[in-house]
Amino acid sequence: MKDFAIFWGCTIQSRFPFLEKSTRMVLDGFNLPYRDVDGFTCCPEKSLVNNIDRGLWVLTAARNIALLDKAGLDLVSPCTGCVSNLATVNSELHLSYKEKEKVNSVLHEVGLEFKGKNKLSHLVPFFHDEVGIHAVKNKVVKPFNGMRIAIHYGCHMIRPSHTLKNDDPLEPKKFDNLIKALGAESVQHMTKLMCCGQGLDRVDQHENSLHFARIKLKELKALGIDAMTLCCPSCYLQFDNNQFLMEKEGEKLGIPILYFTELLGLAMGYKQEDLGLESHRIDVTPFLEKWNRLNGELSHVSDLNRELEEGFGIAQP
Amino acid sequence: MESLNLKLLEICLKCGACYHICPSCLNMEGYDPRLVIKDILAGQYEKWLKSKSIWQCLECHHCLEICFQHYGFENAMTAMRTLAAKKGTTPPQVKKGWDIFMKTGKLGEPTASARKKLNLPEAAKSGAEDFKKIVKIYQERKETKERLKTKD
Ligand code: SF4
Ligand code: SF4
Repeated sequence: MKDFAIFWGCTIQSRFPFLEKSTRMVLDGFNLPYRDVDGFTCCPEKSLVNNIDRGLWVLTAARNIALLDKAGLDLVSPCTGCVSNLATVNSELHLSYKEKEKVNSVLHEVGLEFKGKNKLSHLVPFFHDEVGIHAVKNKVVKPFNGMRIAIHYGCHMIRPSHTLKNDDPLEPKKFDNLIKALGAESVQHMTKLMCCGQGLDRVDQHENSLHFARIKLKELKALGIDAMTLCCPSCYLQFDNNQFLMEKEGEKLGIPILYFTELLGLAMGYKQEDLGLESHRIDVTPFLEKWNRLNGELSHVSDLNRELEEGFGIAQP
Repeated sequence: MESLNLKLLEICLKCGACYHICPSCLNMEGYDPRLVIKDILAGQYEKWLKSKSIWQCLECHHCLEICFQHYGFENAMTAMRTLAAKKGTTPPQVKKGWDIFMKTGKLGEPTASARKKLNLPEAAKSGAEDFKKIVKIYQERKETKERLKTKD
């Protein structure tokens, strides 16, 4: 596997450093060749920068990508927005020679050049495609057998598909495959692909933002799921933080929100305190308790599965 | 943003298919890009620039994905937001975010104390300095271009 730069983005590092922690733990656990690279800025956020100055949006993203060209590294990020923004600019510049020249004439002044030669991946499809389901299964020491988990893909993990090209934009499968590989059931639901709505908080429409969170959380509550999983700091903010604000106002839904890296880390046997789970606003204990209980009760299933995977258990005479 | 393609928008007016998949259309009262598109085509979009509606497009790209023209409502909404920003009628949060971005090249910085507590390594250096350099060059060129345009 080619070495890759890990792109944290602004939100994870400034607001949710524990998500960086669990990501590092699983990357280390798989021995993946990631590197922290100096010099990145905001990806930048399309809905903010592109609305005000498109040229600057393209230029800033192109600069980040040019750093990869200089270092000869692919990029992986645990933030959907970052990858989607970078990939969108990347493909736009590949399509327009004129715009590429314009961008490069500025970047040359700081000793950089946009070539856009390296792969830009979100962590979830990266694990699916590059690490592989089989390798993931092999690392599981404490599976989520019997746990019912709802996946929230997050719009920008898969859309716009003409730039990300990593899954079906309206019927994605890769996150599902990974969650199933950890032993859990991926519970299908109506709002699975619905936008989290966090963007509304960024345009001073907090009530509307809560309205969006509520629609999804209520459906999941009715389905009796054990947790929601996602892999985007913006979606995390929406469902953990805003759910907590709703709780404070007396609207308790109690849906634990787990980042993909946290679920993976737990399945790999890492401790919840090392993964930083106590930093969550919404209590994850009910999820962990049920999981611990089922793991005791269902341990024979895991043993049986292990034996099946190891080949035919016919005793040699 | 790039200029709007009015030919494609005219077809939107007859189609409207993505209305039924758009999360904002389905869940927020009064949100309806079809009305915006109609006004754009009639040259009467001014009133939208101050509306809340244009900021309710979540850029989720659902409309883009199902559109047989591969166009999507979002183009019309982005155009309106861009014009609103030009006129300075952005929501206060957007203005705040923009200022932080222009000042630091980022939307938030890592905190050393929190990192230490989690046993995280020192964060990589930000590219703020180079960012500011290219912003300066970019803006100078843009201004020159605009000056030349007004001279014509
Ligand atoms: S991008 Fe905007 S207009 Fe298009 S479906 Fe999403 S919210 Fe609706
Ligand atoms: S954007 Fe596409 S799907 Fe939506 S109304 Fe226009 S033509 Fe139809």
